[in-house]
Amino acid sequence: MRILVVEDEAKVARALQEGLEREGYQVVVARTGEEGFYLVNAEAFDLVILDLMLPGRGGLEILSTIRKRGLLTPVLILTARDAVEDRVLGLDQGADDYLVKPFAFPELLARTRALLRRGRTQLVPQLQLADLEMDVLARRVRRGGKDVEFTTREFELLEYLLRHREQVVSREMLARDVWREPSRATPLDSVIEVHISRLRHKIDERFDRKLIHTIRGVGYVLREEQ
Amino acid sequence: MRRLWPRHVRSRMTLWYVLVLGVLLLAYAVVASSYLFFSLREQLDHDLLEDSERVEGRLENSPDGMVTLSSVHHGEDEPDMQRFVEVWSGDGRLLYHSPALRQRTLGAPPTAGPDHTAEDTPSTLRLSDGTRIRMTTSTHTMADRRVLLRVAHSEQGLWQELEEFGSVLLVALPLALILAGFGGFALARKALAPIDAMAHHAERISAERLNERLPIENPEDELGHLARAFNATLARLEAAFDQLRRFTADASHELRTPLTAIRSVGEVALQVPKSAAEYRDVIGSMLEETDRLTRLVDSLLTLSRADAGHIQVQRTDISLLGLAQEASSLVEVLAEEKQQRILVEGDPTLMVSGDRLILRQALVNLIDNAIKYSPAEAEILVRVAAGKDSQLIVEVVDQGPGVSQEHQSRIFDRFYRVDSARSREWGGAGLGLAIARWAVEIHGGQITVQSVEGQGSTFRVALLPTALKEERT
Repeated sequence: MRILVVEDEAKVARALQEGLEREGYQVVVARTGEEGFYLVNAEAFDLVILDLMLPGRGGLEILSTIRKRGLLTPVLILTARDAVEDRVLGLDQGADDYLVKPFAFPELLARTRALLRRGRTQLVPQLQLADLEMDVLARRVRRGGKDVEFTTREFELLEYLLRHREQVVSREMLARDVWREPSRATPLDSVIEVHISRLRHKIDERFDRKLIHTIRGVGYVLREEQ
Repeated sequence: MRRLWPRHVRSRMTLWYVLVLGVLLLAYAVVASSYLFFSLREQLDHDLLEDSERVEGRLENSPDGMVTLSSVHHGEDEPDMQRFVEVWSGDGRLLYHSPALRQRTLGAPPTAGPDHTAEDTPSTLRLSDGTRIRMTTSTHTMADRRVLLRVAHSEQGLWQELEEFGSVLLVALPLALILAGFGGFALARKALAPIDAMAHHAERISAERLNERLPIENPEDELGHLARAFNATLARLEAAFDQLRRFTADASHELRTPLTAIRSVGEVALQVPKSAAEYRDVIGSMLEETDRLTRLVDSLLTLSRADAGHIQVQRTDISLLGLAQEASSLVEVLAEEKQQRILVEGDPTLMVSGDRLILRQALVNLIDNAIKYSPAEAEILVRVAAGKDSQLIVEVVDQGPGVSQEHQSRIFDRFYRVDSARSREWGGAGLGLAIARWAVEIHGGQITVQSVEGQGSTFRVALLPTALKEERT
């Protein structure tokens, strides 16, 4: 999978490259709009991550040119402006998704995966990690063969973590996708923390092998090893 | 055309003034001249008729069949004027021709019968050399013979007087207009001088000197009103600038705190080599501060976009009790952790028209505060009820330490904190209530706090019901 990152800020570009390469993607970085424009035309990519505020050729201009040429490469735009009009403008020009700066890296990875597997997504009703099993339709959870009872919110949280198993999810992703609170200004961090600690209490406390892990300052991950 | 029009108000006022006065004076001149003309002619006609009678009495037949005028009787008053006389016979023969007429005649010979040409009122005609005359015609019987008598006076005197009058006006009117123009200009300048002074004064008032005000000389007149209006605008501007300045300073301060944490944690970590786990811990701690920064910046952006009017309210009809329940269920776990109870009660039929997410955010902030400030095992009451004037009321009652009177008015201000050290410990930036107030006010509602120190606080949100929705921009 080849990803083109068009980003002028050196630190951000390097971090994106390193982080994405660690996930097994091939990453090409363009530091200006012109370079990005040339690369998009010259080579084939599976995904373009495009900063909207670029010196020279702006991100929106590159985006509309890509679409006018009939290239269907998925485009994820990064923007520091999150006014609704800016987002709409980007999506209207043919972007597939957007992220507002500063974004959490786990979220970028999640969006990247989602865009790359687009069209192949399906919601599996049976989820499993080690000896933790979830039947989404029957709303039943078992750990080590024993039923565990959850409140609705706890169930949704666990389902989300299971669907993103072995991937770090940020609090922001949880607030938006599980609590459906789009504004980052609403203080839900402590609410999320309490729910995570209750999940821990219910599925991890009696077992040696812990499944829920906190990545300090980043978020949470459901996985088998430390 | 545009370029000819004067630039200054005082010149324009003067020009208008002179124009109007000129028209008035012109009308006056026309009326006065006409009056003079008609009264002079009346006098002329009167004299003419009298003179005609006098001439009639002096008509004598001469032996050759012509007519002569007898000499003036002694003592009889002979007017000193240019007089022309003609006597015609009934069959159109000229019987007498006064010498003053020389070769000229007083019109054509009378053709029709004498009765037709006899007139009561004098008429004006021009002699062949252009002299204007006033003439009267009468018939007279002299020794069985009917003759036609024409007596005429020159109008020269009349026109001369009119001309003199006209030339006086021609000199006097422009003079009056020029004087009036100067007077008007001086008056306009005097009247407008305070405005000039005000403009100069206002030009000196810059963003740094907004505390200055225009002097008000007479608060009752128009200029006083203008100065007052200007001063009121300045006062609002000053308040807005002050608020902005305070906001910027507060925001910088709030940003500085997490920045300091990131920096010192990073610097200290680099002082001595550490294990990977320790580094992970340090980086995690720095990321936590980044989170705080992110949330702070997002809150500020929300408020600034709200200030700029960029946030659109998407109104739907919402059950107020349902909204309160939803908001409380979002943060309920926090209360459970402190063994607190949240009680949501009220009328489930009360509907409000508003943006669900924005209003929910306001309520979440209020309930979140109530949980934070109430002690463990306390009870938090969220009450939905109809208020007076068909308002809808949501009250959040806590059992916290309360807010003293001095803080109550400012508690909704941005970054305002009753106890800064304690609030920051709880992760707040002092924006929650400011956001709540914005959210309520954008819906045309009000948010207030009632509190007695030591006995808890009641935050009260008053909203308009669905039927009375009111767009505010």
